[in-house]
Formats: sequence, structure tokens, C-alpha cells
Amino acid sequence: MMRARGDAYDVAVIGAGMAGMAAALFAAEQGLSCIQIGNGGSLLFASGLLDLLAVHPVAEGRRWQSPYEALAALAVDEPGHPLARVDSASIRAAFECFVSALGAAGLTYAPLGERNRQLLTSIGTIKTSFGVPAAMVAGVDALAARPPCLLVDFRGLREFSAAQIAATLAGHWRGLRHQRLEFPGYEAAAELYSAHLARALESGETRRRTIALVKPLLGDARALGIPAVLGLARASAVHAAFEAELGVPVFEIPTMPTSVPGLRLLGALESALGKRGVHRRQQASVHALAFDAHAGTAELELGSVSGCEHLSARAVVLATGRFTGRGLRAERDAVRESILGIPVQQPDSRAAWHQRDFLDPAGHALNRAGLSVDADWRPLDAGGKPVWPRLFAVGSILAQQDWMRAKCGSGLAIATAWAAMGKVRTALRGTVPA
Amino acid sequence: MKYALFLGCKIPSKLPAYETSTRAVLRHLGVTLVDLEFDCCGFPARNFSRDAFVVAAARNLALAERAGLDLLAPCACCYGTLRQAMRFLGEDAALRARVTQALAAEGLVWTRKARVEHLLTLLARELGADVLAAAVRSPHTGLRVAAQYGCHVLRPGEVAQFDNPAAPTLFETLIGATGATPVDWPRRLDCCGDPLHEANAPLSGIMAQIKIADAVESGAEMLCTACPHCHLRFDAAQTGSPDQSIRTMLYTQLLGLALGLPAQSLGLAAPLAPRNP
Amino acid sequence: MPAALFQTALYASLVLCALGLVWRISAWFRVRIGPDAQAPTPYQRAAAACRGSVSVLCSRRALHLLGVFFLDVLLLRRLFASGKLRWFGHLLAVLGFALLLLMHALAPLLGAKLFQDYQATLDPYLFLRDLFGVMILLGVALMLLGRSRARTGFAAPRDPAGASFIALLAIVLVTGFLLEADKIASARAFYRMAEQYAGTADPARLKPLRALWASEFGVAFEDLKGPQTPDLLAQGRELHDKACAACHSKPASAFVAYPLARALAPAMAGLEQGQADVWLLYLHVFACFVGLASLPFTRFFHVLASPLSLLLSGAGSAGEFFPAGRVSRRALALDACVRCGICDARCSVAPLARYLGNPLLLPSHKLLATTALAGGRLLRSGREAETVRAADGAFLCTDCGRCTSHCPVGLDLEDLWEAGRADLAAAGLPRPAQWVQARPAFEWAELLEQIPGKAFAAAPLAACAPLAADSGSFSRCVQCQTCTNVCPVVAHGNGAGHGVDLTPQKVMNLLRLGLRDLTLGSRMVWDCAGCYQCQQSCPEGIRVADIMYELRALSVQRLGAVRSHGAQA
Repeated sequence: MMRARGDAYDVAVIGAGMAGMAAALFAAEQGLSCIQIGNGGSLLFASGLLDLLAVHPVAEGRRWQSPYEALAALAVDEPGHPLARVDSASIRAAFECFVSALGAAGLTYAPLGERNRQLLTSIGTIKTSFGVPAAMVAGVDALAARPPCLLVDFRGLREFSAAQIAATLAGHWRGLRHQRLEFPGYEAAAELYSAHLARALESGETRRRTIALVKPLLGDARALGIPAVLGLARASAVHAAFEAELGVPVFEIPTMPTSVPGLRLLGALESALGKRGVHRRQQASVHALAFDAHAGTAELELGSVSGCEHLSARAVVLATGRFTGRGLRAERDAVRESILGIPVQQPDSRAAWHQRDFLDPAGHALNRAGLSVDADWRPLDAGGKPVWPRLFAVGSILAQQDWMRAKCGSGLAIATAWAAMGKVRTALRGTVPA
Repeated sequence: MKYALFLGCKIPSKLPAYETSTRAVLRHLGVTLVDLEFDCCGFPARNFSRDAFVVAAARNLALAERAGLDLLAPCACCYGTLRQAMRFLGEDAALRARVTQALAAEGLVWTRKARVEHLLTLLARELGADVLAAAVRSPHTGLRVAAQYGCHVLRPGEVAQFDNPAAPTLFETLIGATGATPVDWPRRLDCCGDPLHEANAPLSGIMAQIKIADAVESGAEMLCTACPHCHLRFDAAQTGSPDQSIRTMLYTQLLGLALGLPAQSLGLAAPLAPRNP
Repeated sequence: MPAALFQTALYASLVLCALGLVWRISAWFRVRIGPDAQAPTPYQRAAAACRGSVSVLCSRRALHLLGVFFLDVLLLRRLFASGKLRWFGHLLAVLGFALLLLMHALAPLLGAKLFQDYQATLDPYLFLRDLFGVMILLGVALMLLGRSRARTGFAAPRDPAGASFIALLAIVLVTGFLLEADKIASARAFYRMAEQYAGTADPARLKPLRALWASEFGVAFEDLKGPQTPDLLAQGRELHDKACAACHSKPASAFVAYPLARALAPAMAGLEQGQADVWLLYLHVFACFVGLASLPFTRFFHVLASPLSLLLSGAGSAGEFFPAGRVSRRALALDACVRCGICDARCSVAPLARYLGNPLLLPSHKLLATTALAGGRLLRSGREAETVRAADGAFLCTDCGRCTSHCPVGLDLEDLWEAGRADLAAAGLPRPAQWVQARPAFEWAELLEQIPGKAFAAAPLAACAPLAADSGSFSRCVQCQTCTNVCPVVAHGNGAGHGVDLTPQKVMNLLRLGLRDLTLGSRMVWDCAGCYQCQQSCPEGIRVADIMYELRALSVQRLGAVRSHGAQA
């Protein structure tokens, strides 16, 4: 079906996880018209922390203080790793742009800097990350300095135990106390849900009552750790109110998914994209994707309630993720790419997918399967040529990376999205009407 | 522009001002409204029988189709229900067959020709905020208004097909077109609680009260609605205390006043009091 | 007819009528519809009604009421708005009836006073009497025609009061026409009158007169059939002018009775022998007396009740003027309702009624059901199915108010429906959202196991709940709790007395575990506000809210069967 050039979007981003959202954001920042398909589901499982690179090599489990130094080592050891193919200046720019957009949408991050940061999780383990929300950053300092500190939790809020955290750190952090509170208004509830608490704390009345419960318990504590429930859309204001009233730094501790920081991240990104005029199709999936050589556009067919919706775009970014998001499908005999059946770089046979030991520190070969891309981030067909001149792939669908073990998920997503979008821009210059 | 006006059940009996103001505003903007003999959109039947609700909705769609018109529903619940029925008809062939048979018994046919619009979708997409702003004679400068989208113009997104359900902006744009200042409020996308008022009256009241308190705390002076359910629920939930009460107004009334239409023609007892700068 | 018999019958009818009126009017203060009717005693209600009436009549509203009387009661403005054919028919019938009553039935009392020179056998009274009779017949026919055209797909509710009224009316009118026809054609009557006014009853001497009367006055003489000679007629005319003309116009102007008389002519001999005129008269008069005596119990009673209802409607909301009067106004409704069916034709959920095959969604049927429930009739054993259907009908009403705004007799139907629903709830039949709460979800599931699967064969799961029936709709649920986290119902109800028992993600989990029946009786399924936040946010694209609605409809069907089953056990 012939379409006039004017009707097509500049770029269609398929996928709304971290990579998809970053790609759409960068597209809009560059002034490209963009439509994004997908429901941001994976962001619901985000912790709010933005990992860049923390562990390399994965087999050794070596942790790095400086992600940029780790990236330098990665470039030497695994030149095929997607992150190795983005220069650090671009990575810095990408993160700055991303975090600045989040800030404008009401979700403030601590200044990024050059170093990774360490902070507590809800079970008392220590997590290394790069981009830390402002509401959590006081926890980094507290963990480093170990002042007298109070940790609180709420009865009924599952999978978060201040007592557990304190017990885990008992030997290492004297002066770490814990206290269980009844969340105001939910005294009769058996089980609490973090998003409800976060919303409730946006009301001044509930906030005052909660602070009133905490204040007398502070004693000599010089920091307060609290589950990440300090507001949803108004997180900055709620956090600031807590610090102002209690007079000590307050840090949120990330909770299990689906967590409030993940909801905040999703909300902030949707808001940022909305403000920049990116069109969205949340609960939709791409049923077919074809390329019109004559018009130079990609034709997408979306499953929709009124039958099918047809869209055109001059460039397409595949950010469909791996198995959970169904960007890749693990079938009996092979791993397949879901939309176009693009060849997936993978072990020769299923027998080689996994190591015998499930928790093998080196990970499993299957985790490194994915799409091979050329220097311009375009996935390759069986003959090693780009499937389509303006089809790009970013994020965790790419081969030769193990983002979970390397703790580089957000970095992978944001950096590759940035790099690819630069190539999209270049490619479109030839096709965008004068 | 010509539409069959689908008033539904709530507006004529419980909120006639919405009909009055809709007619007045759309007449002023050059939109023609036609009255057909519609019946209930089918929403209450969803609690009893899926088939019955879809038949009731499809019947109204078929009536509009027979008249060669699209429907305009000022009630967001009717909007969502009619479109939801269209969705089910699109994806369930067996249901479609049963409904076709039921309609044929009355000599009606539905072939998905009639579109369903809501006031907000009409004003934002078909007319455009610029057109409205240009027609405004007495802007509500300085009036801080919280937009109550309600649920059914937004969700589910693939049914409502209006704005971005996760981060909508069109209603605020429309409010801005009247000269008023839209206010951001955390609970703006939450349900008002009205569908619950028969099944669980206390909870329904609480949901509305919490929203009112949130709007007040966010600095809004007025809550602007686009659905009779939301509007009536907020009216019923006002407690009188300052942090629990807020002036509520339908968008058609807010717009009508800005367009310079007399208050009586909008179902209002009096226009807004002049504001102190 | 002997005067004594007549008088006795008349007074007896009047007394019966009066007693009946007292009984029927007292019902307005005795019948209890609605929970607010339980407290006031009949005396209090009557006293409130009197006080209210006095206060309205002495206020400025009285003028408005006068307007209401003229426009709504006399001119039937509301009926005109809803059905012009029926309005016209009603006008015809009422005018015809009133004038017939004045001019004919009450002629002995009023005739001379109102109309100088009144003689039943004179024009224009001959013509008018038939005209008025025809107006009634035509008017009723038009009203019935108008009603039949307003199809709802269901037969109208049984209406003995209306049927009996029309039957009596028909008897009165038909016997009236026949009686008149008989009198016109009766030779015996001729001879009787001739003896009195012409001084003779001798057929031979009266031949010219008889010829005239056979020719132009429709009398059936055995020996004078066919056209008469002009000479004879001229002679007869002379005699007629002297003896008869003062009181007799040509009966041809009785345009129904005269042709009827001509048609009856061949049978007159037999009719006279059988004393048809006597029987007809008795039938005619006694039908009238039966009508009078039974007036409070037939549709005729609406002549009192409906105007009252219209005046009450015009007086403003009953709650304002008659605090205990609203309750009495409900009891009045059944008497004021004329079964016109206009409410049914306008009902917003009439299509649902048709599709679900339940006429008890329609207002006219609901009115009967509401009143029956108040009288305790609906809930007697053996009528459970009907009661359940009445409850279904009551709770599917959308309160659109069209029935009330279109009712020609000004019934406050919305108030009745609200009261009826409260009565149903008090009788153990609240709306499903409430009766589901009677037991916890697991108890419902256990009871549901006892219902044989074939009980639901007519409504297979795949048809009425396709998403809930297809495991593909929910098998991808990873229990991330996003739906629960974004659910406002859980957020605001959690832990409160009015909170939910299950959360959305728990409902989905029960489906995944194949324990669908456990979800049917849960509060979550009924407290879901349908805001679609869950469905919009679900990372796996599960249609949580759509599934909730399906489970809700399923619970009405299946747990409803449990209730009925239990009722029969």
C-alpha cells in the first residue's frame, strides 16, 4: 500500500523497556517524529537504580569502583560486547540526557559522577549501581560512613524487613537500629502494597502522621532508612518534607518488584515522552513488519481492537528485549527472534545452552544469545547484511552480553539506544523530505 | 460536523445541565446535534450478562448507522461501554453472530460504520484547542483547575483511543484553551469511585473524598469534569470542610462561560464570580 | 321497570360504591411500600395527607395547581406529548361518557334543568345520544389501537380491572343501542303510545299513522311492510303532527340505533314475544348499577385516582409537601396507573428486557411486582422464580427517569422503584453485590460444587465468559502485583470494614490454579470499579478488568443457581 511520505513517522520504536524508552526519548530530543509500541512492562520490575557496568569479568565476579574503567577493560576483553562499541563520551552524554529528562519529569537523580555507588537492598545485601535516585543517595553515604542510623519498615509490607537488614549488617554497622511501624490508615490491613503507601504519603495529613510516628524513635540516629514509598508522582516533595521535618538525611531502600521506584520511572518516562510528542500504543503488539522498498518505509501492522492498525515509519528500532518480553522466543530447537525471524546468534545446539551448574558464576551461553548488529547497530540477516537499511536493534536483545551478571542493564539500554539513534539520524538525513 | 447525541441515562434525569451546556456550546461552535431514540448503552447489564450488554450497545450503534451518523456521548461511561462492545464484537465471531441475529429481529444492522466520540475527543481532536481558544471571549485567567479525566476516556487505551493513558495532556490543553490554568495533581488519573456506589457505598465515598482532598492540596480551585458519573459523585462527596470541598464544574460549562454564553444557557445559576487579581 | 326496584338497586349500588371507595382510599394509607412506610400509621398518613392538602391549597401553589388541573387533568397535556392518537381517543371517550351521563343517564334529574324542552325522543338528543355512544366506542378503540402499536415484545400484564371495565362499558353501550333500536322498531310500544296520545289502539284506524311510522320512524308492523302510498303517508303525517310530533323527531338521526332497528325488523315479532325490551332494559340498567357499585374496583376508579396523582405531581415533589405523603402517594400509584404502557415503550432497558426474556424489567410489570411485594404476595413459596426475576428486573433499572417523565398520570415511578428495591433487599433479595456478601467466597464455592454441571449447559462458559474460560488469557500472569498496586479499590478499602477479601492478582492466581469457582463469591469481583488501571498497567497484557466483569456476570448466573437451589431444598 502506497503511503505519502508525509504520513510516515520518522522512527517507530518497538518495545518500551529501558532501551525502548531511551530510544524514543533520544529520538524526540533529536526532533524526530516517533511512535512507540509496547507497554513498558519491564520497567515495572526496575529498582530505580541505573546500572552502567559493575562486574567484569563476569566469571570472576570482580566489582569495579569506576564503571568507565570497567568499560575500558571490557573493550579489551570483549570487543564484541555492545557496550564496548560505544565510546565513553557518548555514554556520558546518553546518561546525562536520560537523567536530565527524568529530572524534568519530576524524578530527580543524584549527580552522576565517575564512580559506582554502593547501597543497601531490602534484604540487607549490597548493590553496586551508577545512577541513584536523589531519594536513595543518602543511603550511599550512610553505608560508607556507618553513622548511628535508624531503619524502619511497615507491618504488612511484604519482602521488606528492617530487622533482616540490620541482622545481615550486624557485625559491620554498630548503631544500626530497626523499628517496625504501623502505617497510618492501614492499621487493620493484613498486607500492604507499596504503591498505595506511596500515594498516601503524597497527602499532607498522612505524611504528618507518619513523620510523627518516626520522630520520637530517631534518638541519636543521624540518618533514616525507609522502604521506597516516599511518594509516586511527587517523590521529590515527599522526600524533602521527610528530611525537613526529621532533620536528618533520609534514604529510601529499594524494594522488591513491582516497586514504587519502578512505577516512578515508568511514570516519568511516559510523562517525558508525552511532553515531547511521542505517540504511544501501550497494550499493542506488532503482528507484522514489512519493508516497502519503493516508499522507503517500514509498514507495521499492530493488533488492535478495531481490527488492525497500520503505521508507516522511515526507520524502526527493535528494542523488544529477551525472553520475558518475548523479543526472543526459546523454542525446542533454537532461539528465534519474534517479529521478523532475524537470525539469532546462539549456541549450536540446545545442549550447549546451559552449564550443568545453574549458578555457574560465568553464566550460561544462552544468556549471551541475541542479535548480531553491524557498526551502525543494524541487525544482520543470514548473509551478514543488514536486514533493512534503516532497521536497528538496541538493548538486551543484542548478542554477546550478560546484563544480569555484569550489572549493566540500564547502561546497555541507554548507551546502545543513544548510539543507534545517532545512526538513525544520519540514515534519515538521506530520506527526510527537504 | 453532525452527530447523533447519545445522552445515556444519567444526564437527562440527574444532570440536565450537562445536556443544556453541551447543546449550547456545540451550537455555538457550529456542530449539529441530532436526537435519535437511543436506549441505555448497556453498562448496567455488564454485571449480568455479556451478551445482553453488547446487544444493548450494538442496538444504539445500529440506530446511528441507520441514520448515517456518528455518535457523540457526553458521558464517558457510555463512551467506554459502546466502544468496549465494539471491541468484543470485533474479536468474538460467535458473539457477533448472536448479536447480528438479535438486531435483525428488529430490522437493525450494524457494520461498524458509526464512530463513537466523546466531548473531549471531539473538542480536542476534531475541533482542536486552537479553535476553542480563538473563540474565547472572557478567559478564566488565573483560575486554577484540576482536570478530572475519569476512567473511560483513557482506559483501556486500545478501546478509548484517546491521548496517552499513562500521561494524558489533552484535557489540560482544553482547559488551558479557556484561559484557566490547569493544575497537576497526583491522583488525577484515579477513578472517582462512582461505579461502586451501589455495591459498596462507603468505599465509593472515600474514593471521591480522597480525590477532592488531593485536588485541594494541589492548589486547585475547581474540579473540571467530563462525565456525569464523576460530576455527581464529587457533588455527593463534598463534606463542607475547606480541605474537603471544591467547586466542581463540567467542561462544557467552563468552556461556555469562556465563550461568553449566558450562565443560564449552561445550566448554571450564576456565572463565576469575578476574580481578584 | 318498577320504580321501587330501580330505586333500591340505585341506592344499593351507591352504598356499595361508597363502601368500596372508602376501602380503596383507605388502602392509600394502609399499603406499605418502602422502608419509610413501616413507621407511620394509617392515621398518621391520612392526617399528613390532609394537612398537606390544606397547606398546598392555601398557598400560592394553589394557582399553579389550577393550571395543572386544566392542562394535565382535563386536557391531558402529558398524554398529548406521548401519544396523540391515544390522547384523541381518550378525549372522545371522556367527552362522550360525560355528556352521555349528563344528557341521558341523569336526564330525569337534570334534563329539564339543563336543557329546556328535553325529550329523549327529540332531536338533537336522539342524534347526540348515539353520537356520544359512538364517541365512547371510537375513543376506546383508538386508545386500544394506540396501545397495541407501542410494541415492547411482551404481552401487557394481566389487567382484570381494565378488562372488566371495558366489558361493562361494552355491555352498557351495546344494550343501550339495542334497546333503543328495539324501542324504535317496537310495534307494541307504538300501540301503547297511540292509545295514550292518539286516543286509540285500533290498527285499522291508526293505519295512516302506522304507515308513516313504518316508513319514516322504523316501526316494524307485521302487516305494513314495504313502501307506502303517498296518500296514506300524507294522512298519517296529519295525524302525526297533531298527536306525536311535539315529542318525536325522526329517529333516523339516531344513526346507530335506527339502522339497527331496521336490521332487527324481521326479528321483531320474536323479540316482542320474548319481551326483549324488558330484558334489554334490565341488562342495561343493571350493567350500569354493577358498574357503579364496582366503580372502586374497576379501571373506572382512575377517574378519581389519576387526577389526584397528577395534582400531586404538579404540587412538587411529594417529599416537600407531604412528608408522610410520599409513602401514601406510592400506594395511590397502582390505582392511578391506567396500564397505558407508555412507560414500557420509553424504558431505556426495554431492549435488555427483550434480550433477557424478562418482562419484569419493564415499568408496568415492575409496578405490579412492587405492589405485590408490598402485599406480601410475591414471596410466597412457589413463586420464588418470579420473585427472583422481579429482583433482576428491579436492579437492572438505570434510573433514567423516562418512565416518570412520560407517565401521563404523573406517577413518581422513580420513587417507587427505589422503594421497591429497598423492600426487596429487606425481604432477602438485595442487589447481587450485596447477596454475594452473605457468605464468604469459599462457602459459595463449596455450595457451587453441589450444583450439577448440566444446570449451566444452556449458558456455556466459552460463550458468556470467553476470557475466563481460556487459560491463555491469564496463564502468563507472573504475580508481579502491579494490578493490585494500581488498584484504587484495594488502596482505599484495604483493612477497612468495607475492604476486599481478594486482590486482583490473587483472583488471577486462583484462575491460574483452576480454582475459578472460588473467585465468584469474592468481594473483589463485585467491588471492582472497572477503572481498567490493572489492565492498562499489566506487563503481560492480561485483561484483568475484562475478566473481572466476566466473573461478575458468571457469579450472578452460578451463585444465583445456588440460591435458587437452596431455596427449593
